[in-house]
Amino acid sequence: MSSRVMRDFDLLLPESIEETIALLARHKDKSAVLAGGTDLLVALKFDYSIDNVISLALVPGLDELDFDPARGLTIGAKVTIADVLRSQDVKDNYPALWQAAQVFATPQLRNTATVLGNILRASPAGDCSAALYATGGSLLLKNAKGCRNIDLDDFWISYGVTARCVDELAISLHVPVPAQGEKSAFRRMTRTTEDLSKINAAVCLQMAGETCHKARVVMGCVGPTLLRLPKVEKMLAGAAVTPELLRDISNVVISEIAPIDDQRSSAEYRNKVAGVLVKRVIEAALNAKENDQ
Amino acid sequence: MSDLTVVGKRVERVDVRAKVTGGAVYAADVQMAGMLYGKIVRCYDYAHARVTELDLSKAAKCKGVIKVLGPKDVTQKEYNGSVLDMMVSSDMRGILGDIDDQSIFTTHVKHYGDAIAAVIATSEEAAERAAEKIIVTYEELPVYLTAEAARQSDARQFRPEKPGNLAFQLPEMAFPDNAYAWGEVDKSFEEADIIVEDTFYVPKQKQCQMEPGAYIALYDDQERLNCWTSTQMPKLVQKKLANLFELPMTRVRINATVIGGGFGARLGMVLEPETCALAMAVPGRPVKVLSTREEDWVTSPSRHPGKYWMKMGFKKDGTPVACDAKFENYKGAYYMDASGTAFTTGAWLGGMYKFDSLRYRGESYYTNQSVCGAFRGYGNPQTNFVMEQMVDRGCAALGVDPIEWRKKWHKTIGDDGWCIGVPYNSCALDECLDRAAKAIGWTEKRAKYKNQTGTIRRGIGVSVMNHTSGAMPMLLEHTVCDALLHQDATVTLNLACSDMGQGSHTTLRQVAAETLGFPYADVHIAAGDTDAAGFDIGAHASRTLYVGGGAVKQACEDVRKQIFDRAALELGEAVGNLYMEDKVIHVKGASNKSISVQTIADQGVNNFMNPENGELIGQPGQIQGYASFFPPHNAPPFGASIAEVEVDMETGEVKVIELVNAHDVGRAIHPGIVEGQLDGGAQQGLGMALTEETYYDEKGICLNNSFTDYKMLGPSDMPKITNILVENPDPTGPFGAKGVGEAGIVPPVGATANAIFNAIGIQILEAPITPEKILEALAEKD
Repeated sequence: MSSRVMRDFDLLLPESIEETIALLARHKDKSAVLAGGTDLLVALKFDYSIDNVISLALVPGLDELDFDPARGLTIGAKVTIADVLRSQDVKDNYPALWQAAQVFATPQLRNTATVLGNILRASPAGDCSAALYATGGSLLLKNAKGCRNIDLDDFWISYGVTARCVDELAISLHVPVPAQGEKSAFRRMTRTTEDLSKINAAVCLQMAGETCHKARVVMGCVGPTLLRLPKVEKMLAGAAVTPELLRDISNVVISEIAPIDDQRSSAEYRNKVAGVLVKRVIEAALNAKENDQ
Repeated sequence: MSDLTVVGKRVERVDVRAKVTGGAVYAADVQMAGMLYGKIVRCYDYAHARVTELDLSKAAKCKGVIKVLGPKDVTQKEYNGSVLDMMVSSDMRGILGDIDDQSIFTTHVKHYGDAIAAVIATSEEAAERAAEKIIVTYEELPVYLTAEAARQSDARQFRPEKPGNLAFQLPEMAFPDNAYAWGEVDKSFEEADIIVEDTFYVPKQKQCQMEPGAYIALYDDQERLNCWTSTQMPKLVQKKLANLFELPMTRVRINATVIGGGFGARLGMVLEPETCALAMAVPGRPVKVLSTREEDWVTSPSRHPGKYWMKMGFKKDGTPVACDAKFENYKGAYYMDASGTAFTTGAWLGGMYKFDSLRYRGESYYTNQSVCGAFRGYGNPQTNFVMEQMVDRGCAALGVDPIEWRKKWHKTIGDDGWCIGVPYNSCALDECLDRAAKAIGWTEKRAKYKNQTGTIRRGIGVSVMNHTSGAMPMLLEHTVCDALLHQDATVTLNLACSDMGQGSHTTLRQVAAETLGFPYADVHIAAGDTDAAGFDIGAHASRTLYVGGGAVKQACEDVRKQIFDRAALELGEAVGNLYMEDKVIHVKGASNKSISVQTIADQGVNNFMNPENGELIGQPGQIQGYASFFPPHNAPPFGASIAEVEVDMETGEVKVIELVNAHDVGRAIHPGIVEGQLDGGAQQGLGMALTEETYYDEKGICLNNSFTDYKMLGPSDMPKITNILVENPDPTGPFGAKGVGEAGIVPPVGATANAIFNAIGIQILEAPITPEKILEALAEKD
């Protein structure tokens, strides 16, 4: 049951990354980092364990959203979904991410929620997370001992659990330069437009003409974490993407997912539509006009 | 009626500035000196349990706590939060069998969220912290969530006086064979060439009004109980609280605060009893009780869900010979509106088509769900979902166009209305259907969408409805209005009619200004203080403009008559020779003889003697108009909706592309407000058809009592909507107006279902029609 009253906590307002890391080292799992807060503020009504909220509001150097054709895309910890949506570089080079941002929650939440927050939440329904998992990327984490990069492939452990240590601050996400002929897309299904996904999917395909060299195919809401679909990826790798292949892929998807019944849909329905959604997201990636890419 | 100057105009709404600037003061905003805060402790662990131990001691010792109250610390009187019992005669009350079965705090939990105890503290936070320290031990009891479960012979009985957990069925004394009926149904079916029959499920929809419950109560130094609440029914709640706390009505005062949406959720009492009980425990201190959304969800009434069986018979030529139906609703834990909805659901059915014979049975079963009661449409959306799908199934079997069939067989002027014995006195449904069909391109699209094969299929469906303006003759209909003419010739109306956002204070003001012949700006509506206002039933049953407007009109006619009578005396002319223009009364054909309303009004108040002759200057006495108005009819609104949908055959997803609503509104006093009602109604109607349902796990724990998992359609989900206002003045309505508050929600429900039927050739029997159900139905068909 909800409450109109938030739990007591100390709001800590560090002014540098170093100070933030020091606070994390001190308070560890008794603390939570506040960037957009769209998940955290709800959690604070129920979570008795958070005594210290470490706000990034005054910390400089975390709002970089930068695309460099040689280095790729960097998304700082305070970059919001709305920032991503406003970026022509993202729209041109990472269509899956841009499409996920476009349908993400509501305008109010997009103005506040951060991309890194979506990743750190480790929800199997994360829309931007699904898109980024497909394009691939690595998180830069920092604690008192130093920095480390961790690939998104290794980051989500289980529902709500990540490889981040309690004293680590997520500084930024790095997404590689799009490969030659890379095409990506994101699609989802919801109960109403302004809703969490009941099922979502993202793909990133390296195409040479009709042939797919390499594919990353991601599906959400069908397991405890976002899932890559290795069988589907294998079927696409080196293959010409024909209607027959898409039909075969569509039939295989069900063997790679393990959805459950929840408030948003049923396992049965998710199993029924997962193949359709994967087929459609591949088609969407391939059919996108060049200037949409 | 082209000479109307205020009626029919899109004047500025009286509430718009305050609402858009955030200036409106809702109950939650009210602050008072010495205010205390109440937190109600509810059972969220079980839907059915007995409290075996209640330990309030730890909570009482918490910081800031003034008092902790358990079931024994408040009145032991039982009550019924609904107000149905106050709208019928005492004889009828006995026949219906309405009972009081709610307690302020209970030791027998009957639904998720039932109230056990409460804390009064100096802050909301202190109250909530202390409430967590109350220790309740429960003995779990078996849970009954459906009528089928509740009526099992070994089921525990909710109330000894309601055996079989049958809270209500149409009583034999008023309804022979427990049915609302005419003709001989069984015999009629023998004449039918085509019979269609099925059992549907209609969902537990929630009003989702923007403002969650907020209440303040103060037992003051004159031993008066004051309650600030956004109730839809201040006068009935005043009486209900007076009865519950055994006080005369003069010692109970309702201060009606700005209402953030009602739709039935504030019909009768919700948390007024609890809040007042807390206030009476701390005399002299105001106590505020604020509901969370989740709490409001399970304490204010929802739409009645349940199984709805229907059978229809037709002759080959389309003649509807018989209709048989039964709605078994899952009433919830307390009696509330068990009788009302069980009846009206059938009344709307009976009011629609010219069946040779019809039989409807309505039954309400106690269940361990949160309570059901009034919700916009009061049974009509449920009937629309079922009746209109059955009609379309019949039309498909007959091979006739659904619009043509409806035009031929709907009831009209002279036919019995929704209440047998009260015939319809106006009906423009044919025009509604014709104009809606033309607006959406019905004929072309209906032809085009035959024999589709692709993944994305379109469909178009129609639905019609009848409703009411006020609940006469089923329920008491009465509004009192005072109209006070100030000395500057402006008027203040005093009445208890609520404006819950539907715009009634604006339209009532228009009716007043038009009747008086005054500018809109010269009239003010004062409402919401039960010390000052006379009787009114409250805002429900699409009645406020029709009945409240009737009262306003009559009170203003009284003022106008008094003005003219005095003018006639002053001018030495017969009233019939006078006319008013710009608030000056002139003599016909004599341009130099006139007197202003201002002079009459001023002389009435500031009346002096002429010192020269000792005579009074003008006529003494402040003019006040009065009406105690009982409407002569229920001015039936009719309406039609046509929906066009797109169904994805691979995912089952439905997109409503376009919705056309054409409504016989009598007269649109304020066209913008009427359109707003139809748009808002459509949002709830489409939601009931497609997404909205409160549901429980097998233990009766509510799983979606918040907006996280109860999904309403948002702005981007809404289709293109065209509203057509068919103005066919009703002979009894003020300036011909009919009620429009509920009508808009009804026909989009059936139209959407029928459009899906048209697209995929299958009827989905359970609302909401989700993609999951569509895919399942498509798979079964293959």
